[in-house]
Amino acid sequence: MVLKSLEIRNFTAFPEAKLDFATGLNVIVGENGTGKTHLLKLPYAVTAVSAHEGRRQARQPTRAFLQTRVADKMVGVFRPEEGRLGRLARRQRGRNRCEVRVDFRKPSTSIGFNFASQNKSEVVVDRVPSNWRTERPVYLPPRELLTIYPGFVSLYETHDVEFEETLRDTCVLLGSPRVRGPRDPNVARLIKPLEDQIGHVVLERNGRFYLRQAGGSNMEMPLVAEGWRKLAMLAQLIATGSILDKGALFWDEPEANLNPRLIREVAKAILSICDAGVQVFVATHSLFLLREFEVLVKRQFQHVQQSYFALRRDDNEVQVSQSDEIDDVDPLILLDEELQQSARFLEEFMP
Amino acid sequence: MTEIQEGQLRFVFPDHCEAAKYDAWEFYRKSFQSIASGTKAVDIICISQDTSWLIEVKDYRHHPRTKPIDLDDEIARKVRDTLSGLAAASANAQDSGERVLATRALTKQRWRVALHIEQQPGSKLRPQPINRADVLQKLRRRLKAIDAQPLVVDGPKFGSDEPWIVQ
Repeated sequence: MVLKSLEIRNFTAFPEAKLDFATGLNVIVGENGTGKTHLLKLPYAVTAVSAHEGRRQARQPTRAFLQTRVADKMVGVFRPEEGRLGRLARRQRGRNRCEVRVDFRKPSTSIGFNFASQNKSEVVVDRVPSNWRTERPVYLPPRELLTIYPGFVSLYETHDVEFEETLRDTCVLLGSPRVRGPRDPNVARLIKPLEDQIGHVVLERNGRFYLRQAGGSNMEMPLVAEGWRKLAMLAQLIATGSILDKGALFWDEPEANLNPRLIREVAKAILSICDAGVQVFVATHSLFLLREFEVLVKRQFQHVQQSYFALRRDDNEVQVSQSDEIDDVDPLILLDEELQQSARFLEEFMP
Repeated sequence: MTEIQEGQLRFVFPDHCEAAKYDAWEFYRKSFQSIASGTKAVDIICISQDTSWLIEVKDYRHHPRTKPIDLDDEIARKVRDTLSGLAAASANAQDSGERVLATRALTKQRWRVALHIEQQPGSKLRPQPINRADVLQKLRRRLKAIDAQPLVVDGPKFGSDEPWIVQ
């Protein structure tokens, strides 16, 4: 699957934006509260609907079906209060209409829809795809999911819980069977550096994840370091073939809870995943991660196409600046903060 | 071999280079500096093979100094003003040495920009008070139309890119 572009009007904090995605690595930067996560969740929700139906092959896409299905998924993924979809439209005086258009490289699967701020549970579909997609996208939240995994999916399905649907979707993928037989060489290649760091991830019959370490003993996930659990989550999703399904990987703050050495591993893993033909979307606060990408691209991954998106909040709206080079997006607040810290250091210690 | 003293630093250029302290040029001081409410200048220009270098020196061991966050703006302005100053000097400088060097600088195939930073060691958490990578990234963003790969150097090392050494 290749997502070509996302076009939005009056969506959450964005009055208007068109994001043209790279086939490889797409990186979103911006301060807290600029809507980075929203830009990951929106294309995820749309592709997840299409992939879910595409794999069931139960029906062809129809306007009527999409009207409720897209709305349900958006509500599940974003969790607006009281399940009111209209709360995702940009807050302005009077009524407001939010418009979304998701284009794929294969135009027959592109989807467009809109909804008004007073809409509760339906969207108006203005572009009906003639085909579903079949490749499943994967969404990784900032925190690991292996420790909440036991029983989570059945809890989610049987109770009204307040968790976002992304967690449920990813837990389903975590529990999928591992790729067996002659493993896809990409799986082995991608997993090895991760397992070298942390050991093997095992899902035991009791429905719990463990890390099998060098001595052969199993360590239960809650006792494993938070950063390692994150790497273990990634390793498991690679092992099950979910990430290499050629869907797309959406990863919110890959750097969260990781020490710099593990961030290096994650940067390498992300670019290797791109290299294996998977489109990746990352939202980050880490200059360290960005610089690791920069070094790795120059050294080893020159052919991975990249796009960078910087979000800026002015008054009550967010603007998006984009380029295929990090140097050309503005603002890069992470860098400015770093330099301002240098200035404070000079003032205090070298007056 | 040409030697140029810039504050406490001595820049040594090999024989194949022509270098001059541009901000001390008579043309710049007397004629060009006051144009348009004041123009700025880089410290040194150097011509080496097919490249004209614009070199700026920032010695953070001494005051006054520019805040690291403002370095990119200041250097971009100095580079811009120096380029226009060289264009004017090649036609109008009274001093023939300045005129010839400016003319030669304008005929080279590439412009390169180098920032030389000198600083005292910082603390354990911040061994280099100013991170060169930060400054480089800022400069790249600003100077792309002139030099997409500016240099930010510190210390005396003889790099593969820059032909001079600093003592």
